[in-house]
Amino acid sequence: MPPTLPDFSSSVKLKYVKLGYQYLVNHILYLLMIPVMVGVLIEVLRLGPDEILSLWRSLHFDLVQILCSSFLIIFIATVYFMSKPRTIYLVDYACYKPPVTCRVPFSTFMEHSRLILKDKPKSVEFQMRILERSGLGEETCLPPAIHYIPPKPTMEAARGEAELVIFSVMDSLFKKTGLKPKDIDILIVNCSLFSPTPSLSAMVINKYKLRSNIKSFNLSGMGCSAGLISIDLARDLLQVHPNSNAVVVSTEIITPNYYQGNERAMLLPNCLFRMGGAAILLSNRRSHRRLAKYRLVHVVRTHKGADDKAYRCVYEEEDREGKVGINLSKDLMAIAGEALKSNITTIGPLVLPASEQLLFLLTLIGRKIFNPKWKPYIPDFKQAFEHFCIHAGGRAVIDELQKNLQLSAEHVEASRMTLHRFGNTSSSSLWYEIGYIEAKGRMRRGDRVWQIAFGSGFKCNSAVWKCNRTIKKPTDSPWADCIDRYPVHIPEVVKL
Amino acid sequence: MELLLAILPPLLFYIIFNLCKLGYQKRDQRCYMLSYQCHKAPEDQRLDTGSCANIVARNKNLGIEEYRFLLKTMVSSGIGEETYCPKNVIDGREESPTHMDAVSEMDGIIFPTLDKLFAKTGVSPSEIDIIVSSVSLISPAPSLTARVMNRYRMREDVKAFNLSGMGCSASVVAVDLVKQLFRTCKNSLAIVVSTESMGPNWYSGKDKSMMLSNILFRTGGCSMLLTNNRALKHKALLELTCSVRTHIGSDDEAYRSCIQVEDDLGHKGFRLTRDLPKAGAKALTMNLRVLLPKVLPPLELLRYQITYYRNKIMGRSIPKGAGPGLDLRSGIDHFCVHPGGRAIIDEVGKSLALSDHELEPARMALYRFGNTSSGGLWYVLGYMEAKKRLKKGDKILMISLGAGFKCNNCVWKVLKDLDDPNVWQDCIDDYPPKTTGNPFSEKFDWINDGSLDLATREDYLPLLSKYSNC
Repeated sequence: MPPTLPDFSSSVKLKYVKLGYQYLVNHILYLLMIPVMVGVLIEVLRLGPDEILSLWRSLHFDLVQILCSSFLIIFIATVYFMSKPRTIYLVDYACYKPPVTCRVPFSTFMEHSRLILKDKPKSVEFQMRILERSGLGEETCLPPAIHYIPPKPTMEAARGEAELVIFSVMDSLFKKTGLKPKDIDILIVNCSLFSPTPSLSAMVINKYKLRSNIKSFNLSGMGCSAGLISIDLARDLLQVHPNSNAVVVSTEIITPNYYQGNERAMLLPNCLFRMGGAAILLSNRRSHRRLAKYRLVHVVRTHKGADDKAYRCVYEEEDREGKVGINLSKDLMAIAGEALKSNITTIGPLVLPASEQLLFLLTLIGRKIFNPKWKPYIPDFKQAFEHFCIHAGGRAVIDELQKNLQLSAEHVEASRMTLHRFGNTSSSSLWYEIGYIEAKGRMRRGDRVWQIAFGSGFKCNSAVWKCNRTIKKPTDSPWADCIDRYPVHIPEVVKL
Repeated sequence: MELLLAILPPLLFYIIFNLCKLGYQKRDQRCYMLSYQCHKAPEDQRLDTGSCANIVARNKNLGIEEYRFLLKTMVSSGIGEETYCPKNVIDGREESPTHMDAVSEMDGIIFPTLDKLFAKTGVSPSEIDIIVSSVSLISPAPSLTARVMNRYRMREDVKAFNLSGMGCSASVVAVDLVKQLFRTCKNSLAIVVSTESMGPNWYSGKDKSMMLSNILFRTGGCSMLLTNNRALKHKALLELTCSVRTHIGSDDEAYRSCIQVEDDLGHKGFRLTRDLPKAGAKALTMNLRVLLPKVLPPLELLRYQITYYRNKIMGRSIPKGAGPGLDLRSGIDHFCVHPGGRAIIDEVGKSLALSDHELEPARMALYRFGNTSSGGLWYVLGYMEAKKRLKKGDKILMISLGAGFKCNNCVWKVLKDLDDPNVWQDCIDDYPPKTTGNPFSEKFDWINDGSLDLATREDYLPLLSKYSNC
């Protein structure tokens, strides 16, 4: 056991010392400014008003000097205002609530599994064990085509699911925000595993008769973190186009990707992925400053593709019988932890208060110079954020992140409950989680939210939002009818 | 006098403020192309019309009517004997492509072009900041951009975007995206990879409207290196002047004119309807209406307005076939038309009143490489460069049309005299060929004979193989 600093944190006295230290470091500028201001004030008062007036008159100004200095001031002001990035507001978002007829309780899932995989009882048992420990509830939904025995993954059915999810979520967004289809300037659709031609974005443009000069993009293949990649793209585009709206649609179409073989590592996604989608309206218009729910602060993207192990850990390939599925490797958790560390290294300096950064720096110096056996200081991200939205990729992912970031059960409650109620809806799960926090009435003005998502490749993307106004419990969210039942206790193993 | 003196300073300040704002905005708006590299497949993937006939003959679903239709299409397609097709089709596995085939086809196109690109420009992969891939018909997990990043060990903070489903004009969409990203990322290098996945998309059914894709689409692709770093301007070949995107998906007919569906037997393919040329014309007109005022000199625009109003007042109607009425050559020197097929090139040429000389690059690219979807425009550009047509200061208009229905055009300015023969190296001296007629018409004309109307597969299959092998 390497010698570490004695564990003082349990001592109450030291808690106040830590608070005092944080207050001191975070407000150092103000604390230094006060004596300077007081000094100036005393000096001014000492001088008296007459002397001040004579001081003013003694400064000679001529026209050229005034013009030059004004020009300089205006130039500097222009440069400052121009180089400041435009603020991106999240006006509102809508999440898809699947119809009750698409529900897949455990019993349905297991019955289908037994009928489809009747020759492979070991695979059926494997699926049952996964389901027991998955953290999913009884109300998650699969698209209609998958309810057939065997499933009917035709292109028609996939398009049908896409239309069902995307159109209802867009309608919901239009109703919530009062946005007219003709006002949309930028449209970004992301759906990883289904990309027909013409694209899903063209499908949306066709249905809602959007303008012909719309900038549309269809991102595909980018995994569960594609939602944040789309937000990043929307942010870059909104910097370039003033006074514009951007609609981001994040979804995952499950119909064509239901694995029909019996390779175990590939059966896992069948158990976890469920139907869902979200549409988000972003804007850089000043008029949305009061209406908007959130303001985008940072988006940080990290890609570990250069490392072969990370690249192969979520890989679409064929099994021995030629059936295509997604192979999840055993070191997924370890790789997720590594990717998270890289992401944190970039986002830490942007969001952590000065006190945490100083502590981190001091322990880093200490480890390098004095004693390399000191434990590395893990910055306390609870200082930087009030709410955490961890992609509901599976129970293991949430557990791993809770451990790495030292979060309490309340912080990860939104993620766990989303996994329970909606399953792993891929890129849209982050929006269900924010919806949960709002539905619980916990979102206050000034709260900072951190969204983290992982994706194939291997990517770790995170976004930081700041709440713009205290949000009342929404009446039209997918959580509206069940929020009072939550949080539920999810046992380690649900006996089936 | 006093009043004037009082008003002048604020007015002056306002003007100076706006000038500064404009100046600041214009900075870093440049998008330079450092290099582009088209793909030439290895010779064992070559597909001449004889082999194509053999492959088509393997399809047990086709009857004599379908063969006649295919013969007619192949003859009038404008595609020559030296195009390339995916390995799994050549090997006889076009009806059951595996995921491995699809992905290795992509690797086989993307990696060689990127290797050559990096070698040509001397840029190291770890210097790349943005990567955009635009492949319509395939999106594996991990994405194609992730495959590239893994192969070349790119940095962790690279902005990667994998565009999919955007049709034959996806290349211009990707370039437009990079141009917009350059406004927020200073001094960066970007890679655009543009190709199409043909292997898993060979149509094995018998719906006539879906068989055209087998005849027209061929293997090919292109990678480009772009930058907004002014220090590299002296190495750049082209500069992007402007790009305009038009989407007429709101029109149902246009949206359904080119759509990927499964036919009644469950075979996936591309349905091209009769509304395609009309949709193309509409999208092109709408696009040019926005684009041309940005590239043509103001004098020409003024002249056009005057003529237009004069005709209107006098009640004269513009004669058909006169083209757009504007003299495009006042602002554009070369026309890079998407080699989507003979019909498309002819239509575009007619509506813009382009000469054969101006359409020659597109026709030759179609003849030599076929319709390579989004990468096609770059083969046309390569032809122009190999023929030494591109001189410093020239302006090139790139016209691309794609499923959705989209028309995406952009204008490039040539920064120095270009003369690299690139993929056309071994054959440019033979182009344009004396005849672009298809030898198919002589060899297989017997199929139109009325006596074969009721023939079965067993009857004409031996004849087919006999004639395609000679």
